[in-house]
Amino acid sequence: MIKLENVSKIFYQNNQPVTALNNINLSVPVGQIFGVIGTSGAGKSTLIRCVNLLERPSSGKVIVDGVDLTALSNRKLTKIRHKISMIFQHFNLLSSRTVFENVAFPLELEHTPKKVIQSRVLELLELVGLSNKANVYPSNLSGGQKQRVAIARALASQPKVLLCDEATSALDPATTRSILDLLKDINRKLNLTILLITHEMDVVKKICDQVAVISQGQLVEQAAVGNMFSRPKTAISKEFIQSTLHLHIPEDYLQKLHPTPQPGTYPLLRLDFSGLTVDAPLLSQMTKQFNVENNIISAQMDYAGGVKFGVMLTEMIGDQNDINNAINFLTKHNTQVEVLGYV
Amino acid sequence: MFNFLPSFKPFETLFRYLSQYDFWSNFISFCSSFGGLNETMVFKMAQATDDTIYMVILSGIGGTIIGLPLGILLYCTRKGHILDSLFINGLLSFITNVFRSIPFIILIVWIIPFTYITMDLLTGTKTFLGKQAAIVPLSIGVAPLIARMIENALLDVPKGLIEAARSMGATPLQIIYKVLLPEALPVIINSMTITLITLTGYIAMAGAVGAGGLGQLAIQYGYQAYQPVIMNIVLIILIILIFIIQIIGNVIVKRVNHR
Repeated sequence: MIKLENVSKIFYQNNQPVTALNNINLSVPVGQIFGVIGTSGAGKSTLIRCVNLLERPSSGKVIVDGVDLTALSNRKLTKIRHKISMIFQHFNLLSSRTVFENVAFPLELEHTPKKVIQSRVLELLELVGLSNKANVYPSNLSGGQKQRVAIARALASQPKVLLCDEATSALDPATTRSILDLLKDINRKLNLTILLITHEMDVVKKICDQVAVISQGQLVEQAAVGNMFSRPKTAISKEFIQSTLHLHIPEDYLQKLHPTPQPGTYPLLRLDFSGLTVDAPLLSQMTKQFNVENNIISAQMDYAGGVKFGVMLTEMIGDQNDINNAINFLTKHNTQVEVLGYV
Repeated sequence: MFNFLPSFKPFETLFRYLSQYDFWSNFISFCSSFGGLNETMVFKMAQATDDTIYMVILSGIGGTIIGLPLGILLYCTRKGHILDSLFINGLLSFITNVFRSIPFIILIVWIIPFTYITMDLLTGTKTFLGKQAAIVPLSIGVAPLIARMIENALLDVPKGLIEAARSMGATPLQIIYKVLLPEALPVIINSMTITLITLTGYIAMAGAVGAGGLGQLAIQYGYQAYQPVIMNIVLIILIILIFIIQIIGNVIVKRVNHR
């Protein structure tokens, strides 16, 4: 549905060329939710603006639904934009219009008859759960409600593609979740292709099918979400995945920690479960097989794109020999084991 | 042939109507207790007030007809805006600045030939005097001010809104009349209030060179004939007029502002 071929964008700042996008190739199939993740300044905003040509790429092709947008005249481009909707971090609702009029806006642009507008807008407000707010001005809405209005507005022209520019970055976690649920919901109901950019791995984890990592204007990695979480290839992807897992050795354990085995101490292990780890109750199998016990200190497990992954800090109690065997067992089943020290 | 608002005289009509009643003579004798005020002068003041309001309204409209498109163009042709054009922007900006630099009292005299021709074309009377003729320099004098104010008001509209409209497939024209103008409306009305108040000042100046209105009255009777009472009453009328314009402006802004 969306295809970027060798897209580059060079800005000129004080006559100095700055490469915002460097030879981007990307393809989003129909009905998928595709996430592009990157730190601020990586070029992700420029990337999404290149898809509907709000920003004209310096070179390369942008193909949406089989049409090369870069080859279109301004007039045709304006027309085709009705089918490529966009929502924004700061909602960009018209303050002079009520909720109803905001949602009606893209229909007015297409000179839709009033009667059609009326029924279509009410239908959309129903979909986003804001039927009772039709005659309210945006200034009286909360952030989440504003984004819902923006989503309804984006859907009004029955687009084939929805571009989300940091759509949840200005919202609190609970509202973010409800907006993401709504996006997933419309993705399923309308078979809408969604391209979203974000700096939060949690967003990708929650709704994306595929993810690409952008860094310094280049796509450094691209994979299905499950694969990305199970075997991230680049350091930056690992960093993003790490950012969704928050695990620290507690202070009092740090103080007791010895780098070498002491009599009466047991190893403190960090276990990394990735998508490669077999989906089996490894820990309980291990305790049965090797006569070791686990004292789990902290753990965070998560599930994304059909893949279980996470980290765990555990103190392994047992005979030295048994412990070594147990560690071998875990390693054999694709769990990364790191001995942090002895407590 | 072309005679705009010929019989705009609300206060004169009101006073003529009131003069039928008994209390009118009491009112006139009360007025006469201030030096130099008599019935003729009261009617002169009513007429002058009417003329001033007439000129405020028509030159406000005239100035907007020139200034609004100019302001929109100044905004749209700016760098990075929807009709980005360095040449047009530079040219319009230059013209606007030139006309803004000319002191109004000099502008009136400077464009007398133009006023003369315009009056001939529009009304068939060859003149540059009187309240109708004054509308020409007033409109031209206030248009650059309106243009700059409109430009500023439009610059206040968040750029994200224009981007959103573009992403929805709005044409430049649709962006102007469906996004920019409605969004900037509260600021535009605020600026228009300021403009009309400035205009009231300009009209007093125009009065000094034969436009009529309250300015002329104040100069003629207050300054040249040295009747300070007349001058002071004219000032009070002007103050009231300006307060009314400001209050109306504020009420409208309050109604249209949903930010």
